[in-house]
Amino acid sequence: MLSLLIWLPIFGAVVIGLLPNQVSALRIRQGALAITGIVLLWTLGLVTQFDLNNPGVQLQEYFPWIEVLGLDYSLGVDGLSLVLVGLNSLLTWIAIYCSDVNTNRPRLFYALVLLVSGGVAGAFLSQNLLLFFLFYEVELVPFYLLVAIWGGVKRGYAATKFLLYTAVSGALILAAFLGLIWLADASSFAYDSLLGQTLPIGLQVLLLSGILIGFGIKIPLVPFHTWLPDTYVAASTPVAMLLGGVLAKLGAYGIFRFGLGLFPEAWAKLAPWLAVWAAVSVLYGATAAIAQKDIKRMVAYSSIGHMGYILLGGAALTTVGIVGAISQMAAHGLILALLFHLVGVVEAKVGTRELDVLNGLMNPVRGLPLISALLVLGAMASAGIPGLVGFIAEFLVFQGSFAVYPLQTLLCVIGTGLTAVYFVILLNRTCFGRLDNAIAYFPQVTWREKAPALILTALILILGVQPDWLTRWSEPITTAMVAAVPTEQAVQQIVQVSK
Amino acid sequence: MLQFFAEMSWLIPCYPFIGMLLSILWSPAIIRRTGPRPAGYINLLMTFVALLHGVLAFPATWGQSARYIEIVWLRVSDLTLTLPLEISSLTVGAMVLLTGLNLLAQLYGVGYLQTDWGWGRFYTLMALFEAGMCGLVLCNSLFFSYIVLEILTLGTYLLIGMWFNQPIVVTGARDAFLTKRVGDLFLLMGVLALYPLAGTWNFDGLAQWAQTAEVDPIVAALIGLALISGPIGKCAQFPLHLWLDEAMEGPLPSTILRNAVVVATGAWVIIKLAPVLALSPITLSVTIAIGVISAIGGSLIAIAQIDVKRALSYSVSAYMGLVFIAVGTQHIQSAYLLLLTHAVAMALLVMGVGGIILNCITQDLTQLGGLWSRRPIAGLTFLTGAAGLIALPPLSGFSALLKLVSQLWSTHPLLAAVVLVVNALTAFSLMRIFALIFGGRPTQMTIRAPEVNWEMTLPTVILAVFALHLPLILRSLDIRPVGDANLSLLLIWSSFFGASLSALVYFSPVISKPVNWLWSPLRNLFAYDFYTRTLYQSSVVLGVDALSRITDWFDRYFVDSLVNLVGLASIFGGETLKYNNTGRTQFYMLTISFWVALIAILMNWSTLSQLVI
Repeated sequence: MLSLLIWLPIFGAVVIGLLPNQVSALRIRQGALAITGIVLLWTLGLVTQFDLNNPGVQLQEYFPWIEVLGLDYSLGVDGLSLVLVGLNSLLTWIAIYCSDVNTNRPRLFYALVLLVSGGVAGAFLSQNLLLFFLFYEVELVPFYLLVAIWGGVKRGYAATKFLLYTAVSGALILAAFLGLIWLADASSFAYDSLLGQTLPIGLQVLLLSGILIGFGIKIPLVPFHTWLPDTYVAASTPVAMLLGGVLAKLGAYGIFRFGLGLFPEAWAKLAPWLAVWAAVSVLYGATAAIAQKDIKRMVAYSSIGHMGYILLGGAALTTVGIVGAISQMAAHGLILALLFHLVGVVEAKVGTRELDVLNGLMNPVRGLPLISALLVLGAMASAGIPGLVGFIAEFLVFQGSFAVYPLQTLLCVIGTGLTAVYFVILLNRTCFGRLDNAIAYFPQVTWREKAPALILTALILILGVQPDWLTRWSEPITTAMVAAVPTEQAVQQIVQVSK
Repeated sequence: MLQFFAEMSWLIPCYPFIGMLLSILWSPAIIRRTGPRPAGYINLLMTFVALLHGVLAFPATWGQSARYIEIVWLRVSDLTLTLPLEISSLTVGAMVLLTGLNLLAQLYGVGYLQTDWGWGRFYTLMALFEAGMCGLVLCNSLFFSYIVLEILTLGTYLLIGMWFNQPIVVTGARDAFLTKRVGDLFLLMGVLALYPLAGTWNFDGLAQWAQTAEVDPIVAALIGLALISGPIGKCAQFPLHLWLDEAMEGPLPSTILRNAVVVATGAWVIIKLAPVLALSPITLSVTIAIGVISAIGGSLIAIAQIDVKRALSYSVSAYMGLVFIAVGTQHIQSAYLLLLTHAVAMALLVMGVGGIILNCITQDLTQLGGLWSRRPIAGLTFLTGAAGLIALPPLSGFSALLKLVSQLWSTHPLLAAVVLVVNALTAFSLMRIFALIFGGRPTQMTIRAPEVNWEMTLPTVILAVFALHLPLILRSLDIRPVGDANLSLLLIWSSFFGASLSALVYFSPVISKPVNWLWSPLRNLFAYDFYTRTLYQSSVVLGVDALSRITDWFDRYFVDSLVNLVGLASIFGGETLKYNNTGRTQFYMLTISFWVALIAILMNWSTLSQLVI
């Protein structure tokens, strides 16, 4: 059942890639939409099958593959991956929906997007470390091409930077995985067989550091983030949506699944530093965003800041904090996708992304009133205004971590204040102000451009008013994860024993 | 039947909320064919329904104990967020006041914004404020109060930014949003910090906890200071008061609500939090100090303003300062009464002035004058509002101030003196506004100024009648002016002293206007609002700006350069090494042997070094 989420897009990619030249771009787009539509519906079907009371892995699939290597094809879904798989299916559909009808080389473009979607779904569903790694690497080259071919001005530089960073990330993760297998003397890469490993704490910390830095590049966390602004800015709107909405979440997922999940003791030991790291990321992203003059770049830096909250929730090691962190992954995916889409529409209609040039788009006659209104909403959701989905995720993170790390939490609260600062700058310059009537001959915003924004806005609003629909999935698994973490005394004992 | 309405009181915020959702359809670019006016009519209807419901429910709650409704909103592990609603005579009464004032302000808006194209947005936001404020008074939880305050912060930003074509409006909206948000975030910190200690966010639960709690004095003080920060921002108290001044660039019908009740949302929350604040004497002292500074500073600044809306807005800060003093000294009843009388009187003052601003196309006091014969209704309603605000029996402002003064007199005589001074200064300021608008000779701007249309006059007159009857209503609810006879004489004397002095100065044709007797640096200090803007610019704004530039520079030139350096180094290395590709087997063999030997030596270094020794 789960395999369909992976293989339908991948087969779709192959079929679309091999279509003859005569097939029109429109048809190819429709085909890609249909495939991702089926995947989205299938995901919704899986959601109904999901047992909320079961904290373990569900809907498992297993085929032995290369047993000598310890590689088997085992899939499964739990509360953590379900949320992200849903986000992936939704955002892929939306990204294809809002991609330009007249894309160059449509076959390659849609094939690559589908390939990415299948690969990411595979990574979220894998219950085998090596299988995860294969899927994790699968999306590397397609994204490189998506940025390098359909990107903006500095696409070559950005794509190469992305490729190199991600390759380093992959190497670190593989090294950590292999190290774990050898040191723990495990017979296979199966996730559940590695759960109860009892390595000395020093080695655990070493392996965890590899995983943290490897996935930290992907998330990205400061100081491994400089690929992000360049890549996000260079990427076209649908690719940026996927990069920010889905791919960054792959990093966050990896940190929770393989960092916290496999090395709970080492995690507990490093947690105070992780909280500091989170606060630094939040403040760094927010302050850097204030100084930006390009709205897409500003949103990109804002994304760096927002990923810090996820790490803070994880570091807190409380159920509320981690549920908040997982909710923040989904919330941030939705909000970032909305913001990138709107910024893309503004750029397409007005022809610039420069804060100093944009003005008065809220003008109801000549401007882009609906797009501006949604931009206000998206920005405010990102700034954590209650009633929108960003607030509840951030609030849960803060609530969960305040008792453990008060100072770091307060610094992150200040970060949300700075978020408000740069978004107000953005809104004041783009939406407010006087529109110059002489140049304000913008093309009409089509329904095709409005629909994705409206869908995302509706989700942001609904999940903000009814957050239970977002948090309920991840609660059982989170409780189990927190229970696996040894308490303070237990860590001390382990440390002493290992000495 | 009335009981039924009382039980269903939670519906009251829902009516304006529905109105808000419906008027979104007329926000630009969705429904174009009908023009934006239906949005206004729908909201008037919904507000009227809400008011009717409240009026019907109020008698059934009077004298009854409060009823509580709890709705579970979110449950995550051990954290359960329950929305507790309190239906009592206080909350329903407050909702009646809110919906009533809203109805009048919205009707006023129909007249004031007759030619405006932004009806959809305007009425959406008015309804948002109405729903939010009704929700705030109804909910009995600090957490949900925070949520409402934060949403209203966003509402303020959009409502002040209504006429976003003008640069000054844009900066005003920005400052309002950021100032309030600073307060809100400190409030959030307080909310977060309070939960692990108290285990609840319900106001009654917090009050119970505070009675027996033993908290470290420093922690209690920090939490208390964080908690009052939100109200400081909302109530435009020093040092977060500048936004109210800039908010005066927004449309006037929203100013009616903002000056009368929106600022009071912060006061409402701080009143509810009074038992928690009482845990720390430091917090109480700070609350009082901020109240005193804002009360006296605000009334002094008000006198130096030439913009009539700004002059009124600083009186709002001053009166909210009095509420802070009342809360800081734990006189809760006086605080509530002061909020009520201030809301009615201030709304009336703004309404009275609004008609003049609309017709004379200016809000500059120096451009106005001589309107008494042309605008008797506006003049009378303004006088009624002024009389209702200051201590002038038999109107209700007198009861509120008398109650506060007599409570303060025995314990804090200095604070009682502050109240007297603020009363006298406010009387001075209001009489100054009255004299400059209605007295003197007509100017170019006022020579042709008829009374405004009925949509604006009617709500103003209704509110004036209500303000005149408020003492009777309070009496029927058993709230009478009580206090020492000497104190009431003192209070009345302070009102008369302020008003007559001002009348003497500003009505007299002998004294030339503008009056500039005061030493000019001092005058500028008040006129420029204690230079708060400069203070902000040179501290917080400068700091954040510098920090962001430094971070950006660091990111661009340090972190990214380091990354590029690594890339460059590897390219350089590759480029250099490529000259080794000579194609000669001997050379390759030599290289390989050299490196193998080196590695071998390094790997066996320990054995080798022993050998040597």
